[in-house]
Amino acid sequence: MRLEILCLALFLPMAVAAQPASDVIDDILDNHILPGFEALAAETGDLAAAARSDCDPSSEALRAAYGDAFDAWIRVSHLRFGPAETDNRSFALAFWPDTRGATPRSLSDLVRAQDPVIETAESYATVSVAARGFYALEFLLYDPEIQALEPAAYRCALIRAASADAHESARAILTDWQETHAGLMRNAGGNDTYQSRDEALRTLFGALSEGLEFTADLRLGRPMGTFERPRPRQAEAWRSGRSLRHVQMSLISQADLARRLAASRPEIRDRLDRAFQHAITRAEALDDPVFAGVETPAGRLRVEVLQQAVRDAGGVLRAELGPALGIAAGFNALDGD
Amino acid sequence: MKRLLLTGTALVAGLATGAQAQDASDVVSHYADMAQAKYTDALITAERLQDAVAALVAEPSAQNMTAARAAWIAARVPYQQTEVYRFGNAIVDDWEGRVNAWPLDEGLIDYVDGAYGGPTDENEFAALNVVANASFTLSGTDVDAAEITPALLQDTLHEADGVEANVATGYHAVEFLLWGQDLNGHGPGAGDRPWTDYAAGDACTGGNCDRRAAYLTAATDLLVSDLEWMAAQWAEGGAAREELLDDPQSGLATMLTGMGSLSYGELAGERMRLGLMLNDPEEEHDCFSDNTHNSHFYNGIGMQNVYLGEYVRVDGTLVAGPSLSDLAAAVDPELDREMRTRLSDTLMALGRIKTAAESGFAYDQMLERGDEAGEALIMGGVNGLIAQTESIERLVAALDLDQIAFEGSDSLDNPSAVFE
Repeated sequence: MRLEILCLALFLPMAVAAQPASDVIDDILDNHILPGFEALAAETGDLAAAARSDCDPSSEALRAAYGDAFDAWIRVSHLRFGPAETDNRSFALAFWPDTRGATPRSLSDLVRAQDPVIETAESYATVSVAARGFYALEFLLYDPEIQALEPAAYRCALIRAASADAHESARAILTDWQETHAGLMRNAGGNDTYQSRDEALRTLFGALSEGLEFTADLRLGRPMGTFERPRPRQAEAWRSGRSLRHVQMSLISQADLARRLAASRPEIRDRLDRAFQHAITRAEALDDPVFAGVETPAGRLRVEVLQQAVRDAGGVLRAELGPALGIAAGFNALDGD
Repeated sequence: MKRLLLTGTALVAGLATGAQAQDASDVVSHYADMAQAKYTDALITAERLQDAVAALVAEPSAQNMTAARAAWIAARVPYQQTEVYRFGNAIVDDWEGRVNAWPLDEGLIDYVDGAYGGPTDENEFAALNVVANASFTLSGTDVDAAEITPALLQDTLHEADGVEANVATGYHAVEFLLWGQDLNGHGPGAGDRPWTDYAAGDACTGGNCDRRAAYLTAATDLLVSDLEWMAAQWAEGGAAREELLDDPQSGLATMLTGMGSLSYGELAGERMRLGLMLNDPEEEHDCFSDNTHNSHFYNGIGMQNVYLGEYVRVDGTLVAGPSLSDLAAAVDPELDREMRTRLSDTLMALGRIKTAAESGFAYDQMLERGDEAGEALIMGGVNGLIAQTESIERLVAALDLDQIAFEGSDSLDNPSAVFE
């Protein structure tokens, strides 16, 4: 046991040295993180513009811009650390799951009171995260009960405020990445945020691992509920018909991060990639856009098989890539109950 | 250069493993001793609460109601210090939902204000009101609740219909029965249940005072027996202690997992930042009694206990022994200093929340939209907890527990969501 640890300790650094961690980190920054947040800033900018020109919830242009911006978020939704964590920006963009119905409740409260808090960007930024971001906009654009609330002019102003606010959050995240955080990661070891390159790698590894857990346990696990009590209405973004799409898009984006993270270990990279491709293929074959099928045993089984495929990818990640890089996922927001 | 340095560190850590393994068992054994002391203290103070509840039920009065509330507040002090044992120790985590489940749809238990609403999409039984109903149907089964017993609470009502918000047992159920709903929103004031909710005959308010008293008694009895069980798990030969001592290296990982998961996902995330982000006065851990500032503070003290190996018992005795800090100082004195500093910084920040709350600025007031002072206080705590989590992760790596931490930790392997 003790001898094993000694051997492991001697062996690991040499294994990692095959490719300097800095190359891996540069590659992930330049080809995964920065382009992802650039796209999010651009797409939310288009969304804010679309809402300014037409705030009718049924406007096709508005809904299309909303869909594109939401897509851009899902592609980076596993990167919740650093600039996305600062000032609760990721929550302001994406507060879900909402187990206590805070989003419809806060939106109704705002509309009923015609709360002037939405009039300026600064004051709207103090509003509950449940009434901000993509999931609040989904209610405003797709939920019949919220759309029945009067006055319509206030709802229109709220859609504009939420869209502009999402763009503001996305811009703030991007600016932080460009001006500060990318530099901290590149120079890991020379600053207090990342005291070593291993710490930067551990952060990326942890984000990927947490992202897979989020997909398996929440995006898929919530609608599955229990066998006796499936809960399709707890699926993510079912009102806009995006539940399965989010699983597909997040897996594709996370597969990209996994490939880059495993670049120094081609064999593990290929095994990891096969595990991801298996899950992606399953997701693409599943003809059940909002997981309504979980109510039948056969339909639930298909979702469960997909969930297992996602967990298998996480298993390869933690059992093979983690030890090979000499790191393990740290603590994440999904710890706790 | 960097590579070389890493190889050197790893070599030293590898060679040091022999000495560390010996110390590890001492540290883990003391950790179990502290757990035994803490759960025993939680039991002692719960028994005092049980006595106070018995007095209230036997002789309902404003004075006895106040005494029972004071006993509840005191009972929380040792219990909150045990929470650092929860994550990582599967035996605690599996049991914890019975004693400290939160948040709850309190309408399951007793009457609520009209604004509470009725059944919800998430919970059909959110307004069941067991105190007022001697029989009802639950998930298709007829339930005879004529007699309110610990068994009814634990086996039938708790997490009824598979919904976690159906909390029928534990500290927060008792808290609701002693304080009632806090209807002050973001304004000052806690729950204000009148003592006459337990009065006999015509003096009874809220209806069914005898059933309410039976519920309170059953829930308190259950709390005592649950704590008795947990204290026994940490005694000599107890299952929780044995499991740790079987593999001390893995035991060290468990200790740090408990600290890290409580710091980050649970306290900084679910219990603090979420409430602030939602500006919801119900999103506070002890929402009926307005005791949240203490619950957070003693969570912080509990984490420091584990690191320093020091715990002050409810009778004032100091339990002290070999600590994680000793191990860390031997491997990386700078990191040990960082860890101690950050734990103290967190306590200072949580202490500020406590200070403000005790001088009249309650935790639910701090959560109000646009309240900058409240936000700064709470975010001070959150930031302290996030910073200490980083140091805990560094410790896991410095003590070479990375892979063990991953393999051995239940809460890392099977996390359930922060919002659930």
